[in-house]
Amino acid sequence: MTHDDDPELLAPGYALGSLTPAETAAYEAFLARSPSARAEAEEFQRVAAALTLDAPPVNPPAQLKARILAQVAATPQLPADSDTPLQPDELADSGAEDPAELGPAALRARARWSRRPIIVMAAAAAAIVLFVGGALVGGVFGGGTSLEQAQSPTLAQIVSSPDSQRASVPIAGGGTATLVWSGELGKSALFVDGLDTPPADKTYELWYMRGDSAQSAGILQVGRDGTSWQVLNGTMQGGDSVGVTVEPKGGSTTPSGTPIIVIQS
Amino acid sequence: MTAGTGPELEGADAASAQLDALLHRVARGDQAAFGDLYDLTAPRVLGMVLRLVIDRAQSEEVTQEVFLEIWQSASRFDPNKGKAMTWILTMARRRAIDRIRASQAARDRDTRVGVRHFQGEYDDVAETAELRIEGGKVDAAMRELSDAQRLVISLAYYGGQSHSEIADNLGVPIGTVKTRLRDGMIRLRTVMGVTS
Repeated sequence: MTHDDDPELLAPGYALGSLTPAETAAYEAFLARSPSARAEAEEFQRVAAALTLDAPPVNPPAQLKARILAQVAATPQLPADSDTPLQPDELADSGAEDPAELGPAALRARARWSRRPIIVMAAAAAAIVLFVGGALVGGVFGGGTSLEQAQSPTLAQIVSSPDSQRASVPIAGGGTATLVWSGELGKSALFVDGLDTPPADKTYELWYMRGDSAQSAGILQVGRDGTSWQVLNGTMQGGDSVGVTVEPKGGSTTPSGTPIIVIQS
Repeated sequence: MTAGTGPELEGADAASAQLDALLHRVARGDQAAFGDLYDLTAPRVLGMVLRLVIDRAQSEEVTQEVFLEIWQSASRFDPNKGKAMTWILTMARRRAIDRIRASQAARDRDTRVGVRHFQGEYDDVAETAELRIEGGKVDAAMRELSDAQRLVISLAYYGGQSHSEIADNLGVPIGTVKTRLRDGMIRLRTVMGVTS
């Protein structure tokens, strides 16, 4: 028993305002000759009117904000340019995706928006989420070093602090270095993606550079995939730049060459 | 439901201008502005998402997705085309609908492999009574719908989709869409106690 063309079935769509012009015309013609349909239409209109967008506000838990801020600190933004192909997708739900294929939005967003995904940052963001969410499970962040695990709480503090800021620079030879810092905490963390591992007898060293002086901020450990993040040792001061130099294994007390990465805070 | 008086509207305009300004700063990577924007808008986003998605944990996840999208696409917000709050809620609505659609797809898959989700009559009655006491008629009513019904109503009303668009999106016959819409609206009418 199918009544696909039964005008009565257009009543909900009419009330919800989702009928096509042809359907609207068909339903209005039906309304004109059916008093019972008019009663029903009115009831449905009242139901639709109650479905206003103004749902009562609900206060989110505090940790949701921390999670979001942590994710945001490690997520690149879109340029204002409106020629990129995702504009239509933002404005209307195309529904083209198979619902079964829908993954976490963050993943989809990264796949769409980040031409060169900063994988390490994504991994770090996931780590932060885990820590901030209070659900630390050892070894969850595939590839995360033990140092990264140990430093995650500090990273979470930096990225979720109200004055957290970030700046990125390209790395010579391809890749990106991003500094995230909080002046209030006097802490910063460097993310690198696409940094070659140093020669066997060399090491990368981090520096806080202010004026002509440079203070060592630790050895930067880089994974074989060229990605890493690390919280810098020491205290960051306003106006400090962060630099990375190539040093003899074990590190130096003063930088011995031109930095390969410099980021101005 | 939104009977605005003069002073309220003025207040709303000021709040709207404030959101515009914050979004403008967010577009330039200002994370402090993003935090302020979150404080001002998150309760409304979560409230709306919760109405559509119902499940609290999932609603919080959707809210997180919404704010990540706000962060990423803040530069695309054009104050000449509409209010910031509308822009944000539109995004929230779309993501909430995506989420129900995904759970509905999962439900359909489960059903196909023979896993039935039963809702006992008694539970239903108990829940209805409890929700009525809590108030929030519309939210209670929305909870009374099956996922399938809530999804088509959300797509039609909050998503503005036609029957054929919904049918295409869900991969179901247009007649099924109409029936679900009608069953859902009848149920809402009953639960809300609407009579003419």
